[in-house]
Amino acid sequence: MTVLPFRSGLLRFASRSALVWFALAASQTNVRAAESLPPLSSRFATGDVDEVPDFQRHIGPLLGHLGCNGRACHGSFQGRGGFALSLFGYDFAADHSALTDPDTGRVDPDDVEESLILFKPIDADRHEGGQLLDRHGWEYRVLQRWIGGGAAFSGELHQLDRLEVTPIEIVFDEAGEAVPLRVIAHWEDGTREDVTELCRFTTNDDSVATISATGQVDSIGAGDTHVVIAYDSAVVAVPVLRPASVDLHDVSPARPSDHPIDLLVAEKLNKLRIVPSAICDDSDFIRRVSLDLTGMLPEAAQVERFVADPSPDKREQFIEACLSAPSYAAWWATRLSDWTGNNEAKLNNALPVRGLASKLWFGWLRQRLADNVPYDEIVAGIVAAESRLPDESYLEYCQTMSEICRSEDIESYADRPGLSVFWSRNNFRTPEERAIGFAYSFLGVRVECAQCHKHPFDRWSKDDFDGFAQLFAPIRATPTSYSRDALPTVRQLTAAITDGEELRGGPLRLKMTQALRQGEVIPFPELVVASQQPQRRRNPRFRNITPPKVGRILGEADLVEIQGDPRTGLMDWLRHPDNPYFAKAIVNRVWANHFGIGIVNPIDDLNLGNPPSNGPLFDYLAAGFIESGFDLHWLHRQILTSDAYQRSSDANASNAADTRNFSRHVPRRLPAEVLRDSIRLVTAGAADEAVARRELTSLAISGDLATVRRGRGDFALQVFGQSTRESNCDCDRSDQSNLLQSLYLQNDFDIHQALRQPGGWVDEATADWPVARRGAAGESLPPRGLRTRRPETARGAVEGAAMRPAMESTGETISEAVLEQRMRRQAAFRVRRYLQLSEQRQAEMLPRLRREIAQLNRRLVQAGRPPLRFNELLRQQRTLLAAADDSVPPGNDRDRTTEATTASVDVEPAAIESVIRQAYLRALCRHPVADELKIAVDFVRESSDPVDGVRSVVWALLNTKEFLLTH
Amino acid sequence: MTTHRTCDGLLRRDLIKAGILGSGILGGSLTLADHLRLARGGESESGVADRAIFIELGGGPSHLDTFDLKPAAPDTIRGRFRPIKTNVPGIEISEHLPRLANCADKFAILRGVSHTLAAHELGREYINTGSRPLPSMTYPGYGSVVAKQLPTAEDIPANVAIPRVGQGPGFLGLRYAALETNSAPQPGRPYSVRGLSLGGGITVDSIRRRQTLLNQLDRRFAAVEADRQLLDGLDQFGAQAYAMLTSKRAREAFDLTQESPSFAAQFGEDSFGLSCLLALRLVESGVRYVTVQLGGWDTHQDNFTRLADQLLPKLDDGLSGLFNGLAQRGLLESTAVLVSGEFGRTPKINERSAEGGRDHYPRCMFMLLAGGGVRGGQVIGESDDTAAAPRHHAYSPDDVAASFYANLGIDPTTEFQTESGRPITLVRDGQVIPELFG
Repeated sequence: MTVLPFRSGLLRFASRSALVWFALAASQTNVRAAESLPPLSSRFATGDVDEVPDFQRHIGPLLGHLGCNGRACHGSFQGRGGFALSLFGYDFAADHSALTDPDTGRVDPDDVEESLILFKPIDADRHEGGQLLDRHGWEYRVLQRWIGGGAAFSGELHQLDRLEVTPIEIVFDEAGEAVPLRVIAHWEDGTREDVTELCRFTTNDDSVATISATGQVDSIGAGDTHVVIAYDSAVVAVPVLRPASVDLHDVSPARPSDHPIDLLVAEKLNKLRIVPSAICDDSDFIRRVSLDLTGMLPEAAQVERFVADPSPDKREQFIEACLSAPSYAAWWATRLSDWTGNNEAKLNNALPVRGLASKLWFGWLRQRLADNVPYDEIVAGIVAAESRLPDESYLEYCQTMSEICRSEDIESYADRPGLSVFWSRNNFRTPEERAIGFAYSFLGVRVECAQCHKHPFDRWSKDDFDGFAQLFAPIRATPTSYSRDALPTVRQLTAAITDGEELRGGPLRLKMTQALRQGEVIPFPELVVASQQPQRRRNPRFRNITPPKVGRILGEADLVEIQGDPRTGLMDWLRHPDNPYFAKAIVNRVWANHFGIGIVNPIDDLNLGNPPSNGPLFDYLAAGFIESGFDLHWLHRQILTSDAYQRSSDANASNAADTRNFSRHVPRRLPAEVLRDSIRLVTAGAADEAVARRELTSLAISGDLATVRRGRGDFALQVFGQSTRESNCDCDRSDQSNLLQSLYLQNDFDIHQALRQPGGWVDEATADWPVARRGAAGESLPPRGLRTRRPETARGAVEGAAMRPAMESTGETISEAVLEQRMRRQAAFRVRRYLQLSEQRQAEMLPRLRREIAQLNRRLVQAGRPPLRFNELLRQQRTLLAAADDSVPPGNDRDRTTEATTASVDVEPAAIESVIRQAYLRALCRHPVADELKIAVDFVRESSDPVDGVRSVVWALLNTKEFLLTH
Repeated sequence: MTTHRTCDGLLRRDLIKAGILGSGILGGSLTLADHLRLARGGESESGVADRAIFIELGGGPSHLDTFDLKPAAPDTIRGRFRPIKTNVPGIEISEHLPRLANCADKFAILRGVSHTLAAHELGREYINTGSRPLPSMTYPGYGSVVAKQLPTAEDIPANVAIPRVGQGPGFLGLRYAALETNSAPQPGRPYSVRGLSLGGGITVDSIRRRQTLLNQLDRRFAAVEADRQLLDGLDQFGAQAYAMLTSKRAREAFDLTQESPSFAAQFGEDSFGLSCLLALRLVESGVRYVTVQLGGWDTHQDNFTRLADQLLPKLDDGLSGLFNGLAQRGLLESTAVLVSGEFGRTPKINERSAEGGRDHYPRCMFMLLAGGGVRGGQVIGESDDTAAAPRHHAYSPDDVAASFYANLGIDPTTEFQTESGRPITLVRDGQVIPELFG
């Protein structure tokens, strides 16, 4: 076995990846089948045979084919009846010794017929698993001859070159048709053998086609899928298609497109006789691109401008504008945080201060996405991250990190080249956890199956897994890992903080946090490569982390020697153009973000048995992405400018059932962050909305909300399935619907408050409307505009709220939600009042303000509500005030707010209509059609309080499927 | 649609055809009697619960100072508390649990439960699922499994947590997440549940009016034939939320003021007692699973003062109120109760504070089980002389989970599928503890 040096820059590819061979296998048909050995069934058709079957080639696969090593039988980890085989085979040595254990009598070369593996399975009474063998069948004779021949296994594995399956593709016309498969194994020694009857066959969708134990494929329904053939270490997938029998006369053809994506999609659709849907209209387009690319609902005015814009390339222009929007970087930092596992709960002790590590992580990603740093470089900064800069001393490192943590200086952290906190997660410590997590994040491959048994649909064996895991063994990134040269400084800094007292755990951490706040430099843990720590090996407690000498890159035949830091070699392997996974994993994830479904599904499960729905398309995008220099903008542009992306969600007769070939837009629920933010944007007043759009403050996509701490994160985000980022699965994010989401949308305090907030959109849009007292419709009141006037001035907002009768709901007990709302308003009011003071006054008043907020917080906590964070509050209100000074250009409705003069309970229908139109534009990105407008206007007019009527209309819009789904 | 395969190479649909997925997919279930027959070969039992209450004692309560006292152990282990007799001869518990002592016939004490995960988060996940946490997937908490397996009326939530759950729905998916109240009821204050309570001017009438408007405006996708599963799902949950908001039954279940003062009095006057009362009202009205959390058991310091002054009186009032109340209402036979923290605490008293404390100790802990087929008034298992390890047999959290599920008529060997198609046995390694039901 060759051993290659494995360190920075020295990685070489010894042999062509076996994967590539297997992938090619199905397309190579130039082999003359006549040269192959006939199948076992004909060679062992009679008892008159001299051949002794081979354990690896025949006996193992036969036991698999008979089901002996299945999970419910002897493949179970406990075995069955005291007899255990490796699940799915491929652990030949273990299986051989289990079979030939002399004490068990399972295999008895001296009395072949009495061998239990022959004696039991021929009789249902003797064998719990039923009768599996016929005493006169070829299978029986194969086992019999092998035992009779000495039941041998050489211990050396034969190398399987490839598995040839014919036909390479099956296209059916109607149900009832059947095609038999033929499978030839090509061994390295030149042997070829028909092994059809020894394979494991599965179908990926049995509503399209089934496959029998002998390899016969039967047509069941229209659609497309694959049947999967497994033998020895090879897995081959054969596409099976059947076009739907639909009369295409009534379906109008799609417009022609020479976009490379469209050509490749069309090729597949033609085979299936599917006509794609038409192109979506402008308002669907702008909404879709905004949501998918920037995680943000477009502005009402933007929608109107876009729809009215006559320029032919306005869609391309809009995509470009989105790519450079700050929300683009924020949304994709959110997605990359999902895929890389950015989880504050798992970073609990990664830094001496809590709650910051995940924000640093997010900010680091966000900056690179804003600069469109090539994807491979971003990943290199993660994979090969160092804690220190090249010339940085440990003390300098601690000084910088202390300053960053003290002032939450996310930008300075983002300026550093490496994201070392990636390695500090407490669920990413053992080599096994890292193998699983690394493969998930950067390869889109699930190797965890192979931790215990051969992967059922890929070629990964336990050996592959163990070898891969070893590559991660030398890396240490714990709360107390320091390089050797740092130790004196660590002791010094620690002693200075604790005054020499021996502290550990929580108390030490507390001291550290205090010291940090007081401006002191505290020691920070760093990522170290174990070989730099020879002294550790003397300590028996750490003996098990002594780095092993060899490991194995996934998919490489040869072992590599680990010298120094294996991560640079791993990174070289990742970005090598021949790497079969790296580019495809991200291409598939980006595609799935835009289409709701990947080219491979599940999105993070690239494996041989789970082929892409459109292989040429997948290859084209991956190759183009690599050629572009891993340019994410190139990828987005390619996808979003295609007709495939821009199709309408309206289905036609031919494509209604298609969800995997991109023939129409398939609606899906908005992601948690996007949905939550959309509700905010729809209901925010002009000033708040402008700030939110510009600064992303208070939006979930900004990463500012303390995310993903169970029970402590943002309620809406949890309810709508924000990624939990904890189990190395893209399924940690959910777009399922559930009851809690509906309760939230219909009756949550967040929603009621958003609709009712002083200075919110409804408040502003109806500022010159008279307000009716509850239960006293018709009573005349002064126009509210006179009272609320400029909602962004503090006094106006608070006084307006205090006078709002609907809030009081006299006679009812005040819910805690309302109490909380009130206290939050009070806090905002006090902070704003404070901010409007002179600097000198501010300095005088600061302690008092702190006391007031603390008092409010005590009441909030008593009511079981989360307390306010002083600094955040200050920041928010400062931004709001600044925005107000920027004098946001007022919309139509705003103009009327200030000049309202007359008061009457009957609001002009035209005024109502205008507000309803705006609501539709804001929530659904379109104007209402005539009868929608009438329904809504009538509803408002019939409401005892027309303002509340508008709230109800916006409430209803937020609850429509059109708002909740993409379209 | 993608069809997922199992790790076994079988399609999910094949499994359904073959019937080996059993109750997991088909919705059937094994009765407790079946289980016990399996476990003991013959005899059958009756009295299976169809709802459950889980009392989660977050932080890890000391077993030595509550339900597993060692009066004969040395000072450094025994601690200050003395045992008292209970209403069951031979069973003794801490002197600070007098009311629970008076109803010891209603619950079973499990001693010598043992595992190895000494961190809060991991221990909690283990105790809440009955399966050791894995890096590649997340098991569902009991409540999500119950919500999936047992049907619930439309206008009532299946799974409620006061105030929150210790474990989410895991691989079962968001659909089975608990309704978290986010706050616990407080004495002398009105109680509202996020998303469910009406307030701030919203009335049942205004909800009805808004719903009528929504039905008129929610028209896009109405006539679409494709993607019905997604669209119908949204409609169905919307309708259910509306039913719940306008349902008298749901509102009244959450309204503690509806309870008779004399009945409520036995739950004590603390927030935990009120939470227990709320849990009782919820299961009575048809909720399948209620989690009640009582935290603060992480007594590294001042163990004895904190237990004697705060935690044990609360627990004693609330939990005895729950057991007695369930019995008085005739609900104990149909309600499975489980009481547990994430681990026990060290036998040896540390010296971190003047009076000492106890640290995390998963090797030996207690749990309480009651209701359904569980026979109260017994102690199962035993710890050694210093409560440092099980004396004979160690019960695992897996065994307890298997028993808890079995008590609910849910087969603990039920198979589920993760999103990636991996077949998962509900409780991997647990054995039903037959003595519980004897």
